[in-house]
Amino acid sequence: MVITQTTNPSSFSIISTKKIIQMNEVWTSYDSKSYVLKGINLSIDKGTIYSIVGQSGSGKSTLLKLMNGLMTRSKGTIKIDYQTPNMNDKKFKSMMHKIGYIPQSLGLIKNISVLENTLIGALPRLGKIQSLFKMFPEKEIQEAKKILKLVGLLGKEKRKIYMLSGGEKRRVAIARALMQKPTILLADEIVSELDHVTAREIMNLIVDAQKRMNLTAIMVHHDMQLALEYSNRVAVIKAGEKILEIGVEGDKIVDFQTGDLTTQEIMEMYTGESKK
Amino acid sequence: MNQKNNLIVGIIIALVVAASYNVDANPIEFVKGLPNLAIIAEEMTQIDPELFGTAFWSMLETIQMAFIGTIVGVAISLPLSMFAARNLNSKYVYAPVRAILAAIRTFPSILWAILFVIMVGLGPFAGVLAIIMYTVGFVTKLQYEVIETIDADPMDAVNSIGVSKWQLIRYVVLPESAPHLISQLLYMFDYNVRQTSILGLVGAGGIGFYIINYIKFFEYGKAAVFMIVVLIAVLIIDWVSVKIRDKYIIKSQHGMEVTTK
Repeated sequence: MVITQTTNPSSFSIISTKKIIQMNEVWTSYDSKSYVLKGINLSIDKGTIYSIVGQSGSGKSTLLKLMNGLMTRSKGTIKIDYQTPNMNDKKFKSMMHKIGYIPQSLGLIKNISVLENTLIGALPRLGKIQSLFKMFPEKEIQEAKKILKLVGLLGKEKRKIYMLSGGEKRRVAIARALMQKPTILLADEIVSELDHVTAREIMNLIVDAQKRMNLTAIMVHHDMQLALEYSNRVAVIKAGEKILEIGVEGDKIVDFQTGDLTTQEIMEMYTGESKK
Repeated sequence: MNQKNNLIVGIIIALVVAASYNVDANPIEFVKGLPNLAIIAEEMTQIDPELFGTAFWSMLETIQMAFIGTIVGVAISLPLSMFAARNLNSKYVYAPVRAILAAIRTFPSILWAILFVIMVGLGPFAGVLAIIMYTVGFVTKLQYEVIETIDADPMDAVNSIGVSKWQLIRYVVLPESAPHLISQLLYMFDYNVRQTSILGLVGAGGIGFYIINYIKFFEYGKAAVFMIVVLIAVLIIDWVSVKIRDKYIIKSQHGMEVTTK
């Protein structure tokens, strides 16, 4: 195994080494019969892009839902900024305000406008009466418009979601997450089903936002090449287990932790995925 | 599989025959009675055109009763359905609400009408109250079923922001279930107009009062005038609701299916 040392240290975007997400021996199951995740260990640096790659049913989406507390683990420990995620725990609510989550089917509200969908990200900052009557302060509306401009949806604020293209819908989902002023962004297969060009546009948008806001982005992909291209680290999940983890810097692999896969198997997986 | 299906069909036919015997349902009697129908039909053709004015106004009263009953009923159903939905509440909340709703639905509107006639006296108000009760019983059930089938992803996405339950209802549940609610409102109004037409039978106002009285005194020609007016009104309402449905509901549901890249 070769660890390639970088030639240009300034291109390395990891500045802080604070571990914002830590998972230790995490097991989880939907029923009591079988485990979806089997002893996952993860450690994610603040302000980096971390990708999780694997085939359908490997447990990638579950991993994201464990991070924002939509699901709870069966065994092991999970710490998100030193807190244990659980959506029913009142103490974790303030953490949830700061975690942007984009599910695979985006979770947009189809019958309301682009602007209203974006403003949903500001709900934690809104009072009871204000939110009941949809009275968003001018400041928030301006902020939403600023973000919509950033994601390239300026002039389409009033469109309903069902009038948008697949790429535009993803931009709305990103805008809603950014509206939360998040510190962590979780995105589940956000560019799958998109064409090559649009997928890269969306990824560039996320990388741009990540740098601008010093976000920690955790992204689930099934395309290995895309993951390597747009991440600081890539973990490969297979049947609920992390089989390898790769540190990436530019086009070089800087750190390589392998599980029980042979190098040939990894390369087969890599080329198989990248030809898609 | 096929044999099993045949068995099921056989059992159903046997049950229908057995039940028919018990309720004296005899096809021969039906055929024998056909000439009576001809007599009524003939008398009905001798309509009394002078009554069309009265019929029109009593139909208008009927429609107004149905309108108030539907709007107020749906307005009560909406918050109630939020408490009855399993995906929004613990069982200690939804179970009792559902039990009350089931009790409300047990009575047909005509029984509610009798109850309210006793309570508030004869007249359209008793009918309106009956329609409200009936509407609440049904629309709440239909609506909580819609809420329970809302796509889990928007719920998850908005829930993950850490919003309150009220915000979740306001920003996900309401907009996602709104097209169904409009559809139910139209259906319920349509249904309530027909229902209200018979509430007059028990003195709870509306056009049914005239129909039942003329039939009681064998004045089929006069009753026919009122029945024609009911028929025309129902057809018009049906036509209007199809138009509204096309404009607001089909469009948004079609939009949901459109997924272009």
